[in-house]
Amino acid sequence: MKKVWPKVRRNHLFPQIPPPQLVESDEEVALEIKSKQMTINVNFLQALTEKMSPEDALQALLDHGISHYMYCPWDFNTHLMLYSEAKKVLRDKRLAQKAASYFMDVVANTYCVKERETKIPELYRHLPKEGIQRILALLYQVIWGIDLGARGEEESIKRLSRIPYLEKRLWKESIKKFAKTLEEFLQKEMESEQKSSKKAQNPLGEHSIENYTLEEIDKGLREFASSVDDITEFRETVEDLKDELAAMGYTVGGMGRGAGNPIDADLLYYMKLAENYTLPIKKLPMEKSGALHPHSHSPWEVGKPVQDIDPWTSFGKIMPGLTQTWVRREGEVFGEMEKIPDCLIIIDSSGSMTNPRERLSYAVLGAACACNAYLKNSKRVAVYNFSDAFRGNKLILDFCKEKESIYWAICRYFGGGTAIDLNDVMYLLKQSEKPDIFIITDMQITNLEKLIDFFNSIENRVTAVHIGENIYAARFREGLKQKNNVSLFLVKDKEDIPKIVLGKVREYLSSPF
Amino acid sequence: MKNPFEEFRGQSTRSKGKELPLDRILKAKEETLNQILKGYENLLKNEAKDLVWLMQYSTVIKAYSIAEEAIKGINYAAEDIEEFCYVLDKTDQVPYLITGPAGVYISALCNHAEEEEIVLRLQDVGIKINLLGYRLPEGKRLVIEGNVGDFTGISLEGGELVIEGSAKNYTGAGMKKGRIIVKQNVGFNTGHGMTGGEILVGGRIKGLGKVVGGKIYEKGQLIFPSDDYRPYYF
Repeated sequence: MKKVWPKVRRNHLFPQIPPPQLVESDEEVALEIKSKQMTINVNFLQALTEKMSPEDALQALLDHGISHYMYCPWDFNTHLMLYSEAKKVLRDKRLAQKAASYFMDVVANTYCVKERETKIPELYRHLPKEGIQRILALLYQVIWGIDLGARGEEESIKRLSRIPYLEKRLWKESIKKFAKTLEEFLQKEMESEQKSSKKAQNPLGEHSIENYTLEEIDKGLREFASSVDDITEFRETVEDLKDELAAMGYTVGGMGRGAGNPIDADLLYYMKLAENYTLPIKKLPMEKSGALHPHSHSPWEVGKPVQDIDPWTSFGKIMPGLTQTWVRREGEVFGEMEKIPDCLIIIDSSGSMTNPRERLSYAVLGAACACNAYLKNSKRVAVYNFSDAFRGNKLILDFCKEKESIYWAICRYFGGGTAIDLNDVMYLLKQSEKPDIFIITDMQITNLEKLIDFFNSIENRVTAVHIGENIYAARFREGLKQKNNVSLFLVKDKEDIPKIVLGKVREYLSSPF
Repeated sequence: MKNPFEEFRGQSTRSKGKELPLDRILKAKEETLNQILKGYENLLKNEAKDLVWLMQYSTVIKAYSIAEEAIKGINYAAEDIEEFCYVLDKTDQVPYLITGPAGVYISALCNHAEEEEIVLRLQDVGIKINLLGYRLPEGKRLVIEGNVGDFTGISLEGGELVIEGSAKNYTGAGMKKGRIIVKQNVGFNTGHGMTGGEILVGGRIKGLGKVVGGKIYEKGQLIFPSDDYRPYYF
């Protein structure tokens, strides 16, 4: 290992992974990767001694392992994408996992054979060729042009050999074709596993989420949430991997990890998607303290106090016409620290709003982004989720810092009428010192006028986000145009969310919204 | 001082690597696909003026003969036909899609392919292509996995057409001999103008057309000719 590892590492341009470990295991698996740590089975190497030298076998295994890290799947997001696409074709979790795993092997091996000097073909020549391994060996023979000792003809090899494995941008389509072509073989393998109650071992290791660290999983889920077409695709994939994620200790906790409740895929979707947007929060303006501080210069004249003379601008001389004296003014220094207050999120979940568990809800996403922004600044967030509040369709969450609880409250959907109970809002506002208000709604609120009057009467900073343009939003804008502490933003698409500036206070003479 | 990059002299990070047989296979596939696409564009240029194509007996015959001419000399396999169907679904590679001429073109490709049995896996293709299986000759078997559009298997000439999904209207219209097997449902005017052959539908038939001859089965039961459906004479 000491001789081989540096050579392999150099060959792959020094990937950032820890040195592999050698272990003795009775498993028929040569290589395992857990959280980027590769472990090589010494017994496997010894079994191959008669057929190939241990150094060559070790080099081949390391080449294979590093290619998975450096090329395919590269990251957890790609792994999820491959699995998700395979599942669309095969419609079975276990089959899709197998298909994705074999696809990644083919891509990684082919990449290595093409781009590096590797002993992988020699390794495959000596590996057992049964079931799908035989099909893959036949495929390798065709696409690499190297005899691996696999015999026989298969119709499916022709289809498999036409897939562009090394075109990363086409992997989404390629995995589907790969999975479809291998479907009957995968099913046969699954049937024989069920009969023998023994899982078919991939000699070069399985590909599962255990290959990744928690940080990589976190990042992968974030990117996957942005890349999927809709929430149902994300939900389906995460639901399939729920047990594995929980086993690794990844749950919907405070930071999306750690001990907590089982994963709610919808919550996780919004959590991860919201992490892609960072909304700025304007800090509260400074307060006058009553102290005087030097502000500007004015020419000194005889009779003016000498203690305020500025010797630097006076060139050290005290002479009328030359000497400058400081003019002091009441300073805008800190009587109180600049700070960010807590935030009250008011979210509309009436029937006119999108059900966040069926389709992407910009309201929930916007509220999630606001929640993240305040929590990042160690502030508390309260949630008032309303539909027809007077009929009990409301959810009140007091100020807290528990991300999971806040997200639960935000994602709740009532789907009823639309009326906001301002008593609830006033109750929540009293629980904190002048909190910011973040309200997100389509403005189709039955007591909109009361809401406008309420906002006119308070001094809290209000960030109002309306979904889509309508006459109610126009009325809201009209009713609050005199209030500098209310900012209104329109969201029609995901791309509008980063334009929201929380707590923005319109300056005098600034352009109207 | 030793140059730390000395050992990498001569090693280009942007090397293309070895050329594998995979590269040659993909290149040949790309060339064949381009030739097929070119033939399709020629067909559209001749047939679909202003992107309009009228489904009429004469236009179909004319489009078919132009398609046959366009594919002469192209060395393709069944997988290339399937690839073409996938490409039709993506408008960035194909300037515009008109399912009528596309179906006629694919039918010409299938009818003149070297293989006796062709399997087209179209489950993931978003569009339902019309006129598939047009004039499928005797000795040819065409299996389509997925759903198809209107006028499937019209003027069948003795071949066997298997649809693993559903078909729409006018399935088997004008067929003379051969067999059409639809595993799921078919639409209206099934077998319209049919003079011979068999249509076997595993699911529901929404409606029969003016059937002249042949046999039509629905869920294993013979429904034409029967007391409820007698031959029609034009």
